[in-house]
Amino acid sequence: MAHKEYVYLTPMPVRIWHWLNALGIVTLCVTGLQIRFPDVVNIFGTYKAAIRLHNTAGVVVSISYILWLFYYMFVAGTLLKLYVPKLDDIKSGLVRQAFFYFFHYFLGKPNPHHATPENKFNPMQKTAYLAIMLVLLPLVIVSGYLLMYIAPLREIVHVIGGIKMLVGAHFLIACSFCAFLFVHIYLATLGQTPLAYFKPMWDGWEEVHH
Amino acid sequence: MRTRATLLLVTLVLAAFAGSAKAETKAACLGCHGDKNIIAKGGGHLYIDSVNFGTTTHARIGCTSCHSAVSPDHPEDGIRPKRAECSECHTPINEEYSASLHAKNAGCADCHDPHAVKPPLAVSGEYINKQCAKCHELQKIVASHTKWLPQADLHIEAIPCITCHTGSKDYVITMFVETRDQSRKRGEFRQATYDELVKAAGNKPVASLVDGDSNGFITLDELRRFNRSARRSDMRLWGMMMPEKVTHSYQILDNRWDCTFCHAVGPKAMQTSYVAFPDKAGTVTRVAVEKGAILDLLFGTPDFYMMGSTRSTPLSVAGLLIIVGGMMMPIGHGTLRFLTRKNRKHDASGKEH
Repeated sequence: MAHKEYVYLTPMPVRIWHWLNALGIVTLCVTGLQIRFPDVVNIFGTYKAAIRLHNTAGVVVSISYILWLFYYMFVAGTLLKLYVPKLDDIKSGLVRQAFFYFFHYFLGKPNPHHATPENKFNPMQKTAYLAIMLVLLPLVIVSGYLLMYIAPLREIVHVIGGIKMLVGAHFLIACSFCAFLFVHIYLATLGQTPLAYFKPMWDGWEEVHH
Repeated sequence: MRTRATLLLVTLVLAAFAGSAKAETKAACLGCHGDKNIIAKGGGHLYIDSVNFGTTTHARIGCTSCHSAVSPDHPEDGIRPKRAECSECHTPINEEYSASLHAKNAGCADCHDPHAVKPPLAVSGEYINKQCAKCHELQKIVASHTKWLPQADLHIEAIPCITCHTGSKDYVITMFVETRDQSRKRGEFRQATYDELVKAAGNKPVASLVDGDSNGFITLDELRRFNRSARRSDMRLWGMMMPEKVTHSYQILDNRWDCTFCHAVGPKAMQTSYVAFPDKAGTVTRVAVEKGAILDLLFGTPDFYMMGSTRSTPLSVAGLLIIVGGMMMPIGHGTLRFLTRKNRKHDASGKEH
């Protein structure tokens, strides 16, 4: 009888962070929609409820982000290895992976990247996650805190160029996260089965296909 | 015909005489009451700042219109005249105010010094709030509002108290030029004084700082130009949501507890704005700004934003395009994936490869 081979790809702290972050980001997107368009959207009853929930979710996401950063930097120590693309990734890996997603995949050819705990992400994932986790998420968190405490932090807001600059940046980055959600969830269905990539993010184990 | 002309002449002469008599009386009163030495004789309330008083509507009607009890022999007669009654002229306001919660705590003169009172549109929001702060300490106000109002400190800086605590209507955004002390680079921004603006404007009128062509109307381009350059000279425009109409029915209005009263009015409601410049007389003069400045993406009002109601439509469209871009992946790729599904079925289990 053929047996299945599994690899422990996603440790528990990362899984807890991922789902907490996912819940937080979705909450932020939906509450953010009501905060920006209160005259047309009312999901949470009152405007204040939407703001309070948005602020709470923002704090949860920022704390979980710090824990994630701490874990990858000091506990696992794999932040740079997993998230920073290598020279080969940039020179050929990105094109190869993009070619797979947008051409070879439709022809039924296999994914050129095989996830291992040491090399979990393909070159496109590395690049995208690097931008998201080390640039966009910190920016949206910092701009969020500045918007939450405008009066005490007004000097920083002034240096940035004013509240409208801050709101604009926060909103556009938030929209990027919303856009990322669609891409991220869709790409997660491109495994051997539509739910194959969801499983390791739930129990940590991914089936190995040779 | 001749009789009519004579009557008109007599009326004009009498009116001119009455006017000059008022001016003479006022000058006579201020001869003593405009001199600070009077404070030592009878108390601070006897001193009238003649420059401040000269800007008030009350100055036009003359001292004796309110202080009718002053005898011709004043002050030699030794009689201290009764205080003037505001209600003699301001009857409807007095009736409205008397019925309010505030009436038992303060009289008219506690908020409106009759010798310095200015019309509502000729004062800044900061000035209005200073009248309230005579009794209501700012820190306590912030603390009590923080219990229910997110960012209470910010709200109180951007809205005069009377916007929520009177039956105010018709809101506009009025901006004021703020600056900070050059000696302390990181000092707090505060409303620029007339003298500071005169210095900044050089030999031009103060409004020309923003209203470049001094035509009494600030275009969006002029506003953007000022905002782009203002930061270099440590100036900025600070906006406040000001009511055009106010009442004296001081109360806590139920609908003001609801954030949507301001934040969900939609961008169309936030079209009217002004820049108010202080003038020599201690009042402010508003200069109208082109419609829609508050909704401008970045440089119309870089430091004024009301969540929900002053959002920029181009920014919303840009955000939507980003989200639609993200949705194109599942839609576009997903469609091709569906159409090419047979290419990936290599075994009986139906798993894709």
